[in-house]
Amino acid sequence: MKLAFQLAYKNLIGSGLRTWLNVGVLSFAFVIMIFYNGLIDGWDQQAKIDSIAWEYGHGQFLEESYDPFDPFTLQDGHAEFEKNKIKGLSPILIRQATIYPDGRMLSVSLKGIDAQQKTLKLPTATLEKSDAFIPAVIGKRMAESAKLEEGDEVLLRWRDKNGTFDAANITIVDIFDCNVPNVDNGQVWVSIEKLWEITGMTNHATMLIASEDYVHEEMKGWNYSSQEDLLKELSDIIAMKKTSGSIMYGLLLAIALLAIFDTQVLSIFRRQKEIGTYIALGMTRWQVVGLFTVEGSMYSFLATLVGSAYGIPFFYYMATNGITMAANADDMGISIADVIYPVFGIGLIVGSIILVVISATIVSFLPARKIAKMNPVDALKGKLS
Amino acid sequence: MNKHIISIDKVTKRFPVGDGEFTALNQVDLQFEKGEFAGIVGPSGSGKTTLLNIIGSLDTPTEGKAIVMDRNIKELSHKESAALRNKHLGFIFQVYNLLPVYTVFENVEFALILQNKSASERKKAVMEALEWVGLENMAKKKPAKLSGGEGQRVAIARAMVKRPEIVLADEPTANLDAKNAHAIIQTMKNLNKELNTTFLFSTHDEKVMAYLNRMVHLEDGKVVKDELIETQNFIS
Ligand SMILES: Nc1ncnc2c1ncn2[C@@H]1O[C@H](COP(=O)(O)OP(=O)(O)O)[C@@H](O)[C@H]1O
Ligand SMILES: [Mg+2]
Repeated sequence: MKLAFQLAYKNLIGSGLRTWLNVGVLSFAFVIMIFYNGLIDGWDQQAKIDSIAWEYGHGQFLEESYDPFDPFTLQDGHAEFEKNKIKGLSPILIRQATIYPDGRMLSVSLKGIDAQQKTLKLPTATLEKSDAFIPAVIGKRMAESAKLEEGDEVLLRWRDKNGTFDAANITIVDIFDCNVPNVDNGQVWVSIEKLWEITGMTNHATMLIASEDYVHEEMKGWNYSSQEDLLKELSDIIAMKKTSGSIMYGLLLAIALLAIFDTQVLSIFRRQKEIGTYIALGMTRWQVVGLFTVEGSMYSFLATLVGSAYGIPFFYYMATNGITMAANADDMGISIADVIYPVFGIGLIVGSIILVVISATIVSFLPARKIAKMNPVDALKGKLS
Repeated sequence: MNKHIISIDKVTKRFPVGDGEFTALNQVDLQFEKGEFAGIVGPSGSGKTTLLNIIGSLDTPTEGKAIVMDRNIKELSHKESAALRNKHLGFIFQVYNLLPVYTVFENVEFALILQNKSASERKKAVMEALEWVGLENMAKKKPAKLSGGEGQRVAIARAMVKRPEIVLADEPTANLDAKNAHAIIQTMKNLNKELNTTFLFSTHDEKVMAYLNRMVHLEDGKVVKDELIETQNFIS
C-alpha cells in the first residue's frame, strides 16, 4: 500500500499539467462545497440566535384560531387570558391597521406588547418613557419603506372590538435594527395597554411569548409551540437552501470526478506497456489495479492539500470578517443578517474530505478494474484496444 | 530438485486468429541448465517471444508442460506467477520499458520495493547493480535523458538487482548500434560468469549470437537445430 502511494505520487507529479488541472477543479469543488455549507451553517446559527432573541422567545402560545400564515384569522384570533395564570408569559395582541405616511396608505400589523417585557430584544421600554399619545417602535426596514424617522408622527387607523374605525396619530419613539424580518417588515409595535385601551379589548392576546423561566403547562384555547418546534421550521427552510445549494457544488464535483475518470481511462490505455512491465517485474494484477486506483484517489489528497492552501486562509478570513449579504436577501422571509459569519465545523470539513476521497476512489477504481482482466503479453505489446 | 532450471516439454501454443487458430509454438522440447548463456534464434515470427513469455510465466502453453524453477507454469495462480517473476526472473525488453517518471535509481529499486527490502538494503543493491552496468553516476537521471545504450543498461541493472536465477532478454540489442550492442552483451556475459545467472535471449542479431554458448534455432514454432558452441573470448 505504501508502495502504491509512493508510485502514485510520483506518477501524478510526473504527469504535470494534467494532474494540476484535475487537482485544481477538484479542490475548487471542495472549497466551494465547504464554503457554501459553512455559510449556510453560519446563517442557520445566526438565524436561530436572532429569531430566539427577537421573535420566538422560549416558546409561544397561539390563540387556537389564529394562523400566522393567514392574516384573515387575525380578526378573531385572540382571546382573553387570565393574568395570574400566565406566569412567565408575555402577551402580544395583533390587530390589522393602516398607516398613512406622506398621504400613502400602508397596511400594517399593529402589535401590542408588554412594555416591561424582557424576553424579546424589542426596545419596548422606550414605549413607556414617551408621553406621546400612542408611542410606537418600528424596525429599520419598516422605517425605510414608510420613510419614517424617529420623532415622526403618522396617522394610524384601526378598528375597535366592535369593528368601528378609529384613527389617531402615533409617534415613532425608536427605530430598532434587527435581522428578523417577521418583527420588522410591516410591523408597528405599541404598548399592549395602549392597544387594549384604543380597541377596548382589554386582557386579550393573540399570542403569548414564553420567557426563560416559563414552565410549560397546557392551556385550553391556546396552542403551544416550544422553542425547538419553532426552530425546526427555521431549520427546515435552511435545510432546503442547503439542498438547492448542493446542486451547484454537486455539479462542480461531478465535473471534477468526470475529469478524473477520463484521465484514468486514458492513462490506462496509454500506459499498457507500463502495466505489462509492472506485471513482468512481479506485481500481481490486483496490485496494479490498486496502484492505478490509488493514483486516481491521490487527486483527492492533492486536492485536499491544494484546497487547504487557499481554502484555509479564505475560510479564516470569511469566518472572521463575515460576508455582506445582498440587501434583497431580506426577501427570503427568514432572518438573515447583513453580515453572515460562516461556521466551518470539523464535521463539515472531515465529511467533505471523506466524500471527495471516496468518490474520487470510486471513479478511479471503475476503469482500473479492467487491468485485472488484461493479458500481460498484450499489455506489454501495447496491443489492447 | 529437477536438474534443469527450465524444462519445456512438448509445448504447443496456439492463438485464436479470426475463425481459426495460429500455431506459434509446435511441440517444443527444450531444457536449460543453471548458468547457461543461451539464445533462441530464428526469423521474425518464428515464436521466440512466445516461448520467452511462457518461460516468464506471462503466458501459458496451450498444450505440454513448461517447468521453471520446479514450478509448472500452467498451474500457477496469478499471485504465484507474480512471486516467481518477482523473486527469480529478470526481464529485459527490446524497448527497455523503463518507467518514465522514475529516476534511474528508482527504476532499478522497484523490484526490491516489491520484495519489501529495507531502504538501506535497497540502496546498497541498487548502487551495486548500477556499478555492474557502469551507470553509478546516472542514478538521479530520468530515463528520457539517457541514450539508448544507457537505457538498456538500466534495464539490465533492473533485471539483475534482485539477483534472479534466470534473465529473459527479448531482442535486447534490436534498437542499439553495434558498439552499444557489443557493450550490452558483454556486460551480461560478465554477469553470467560472475553470478552464474542463466541468460536466455531471443535474437536474430549476429552480434549477439557470437557470444552465446548455445543456440536454439526456431522456425515456424519448431526447434530445427539446437547447437552448443565453444566459448570464444571477446575483448570488449
Ligand atoms: N496474441 C497473438 N495472437 C495471434 N497471433 C499471435 C499472437 N502473438 C503472437 N502471434 C503470432 O505468433 C507468431 C510468433 O510470434 P512471436 O513469438 O512474437 O515471434 P518472434 O518473437 O519470433 O518474432 C507470429 O506469427 C505472431 O504473429
Ligand atoms: Mg519477438
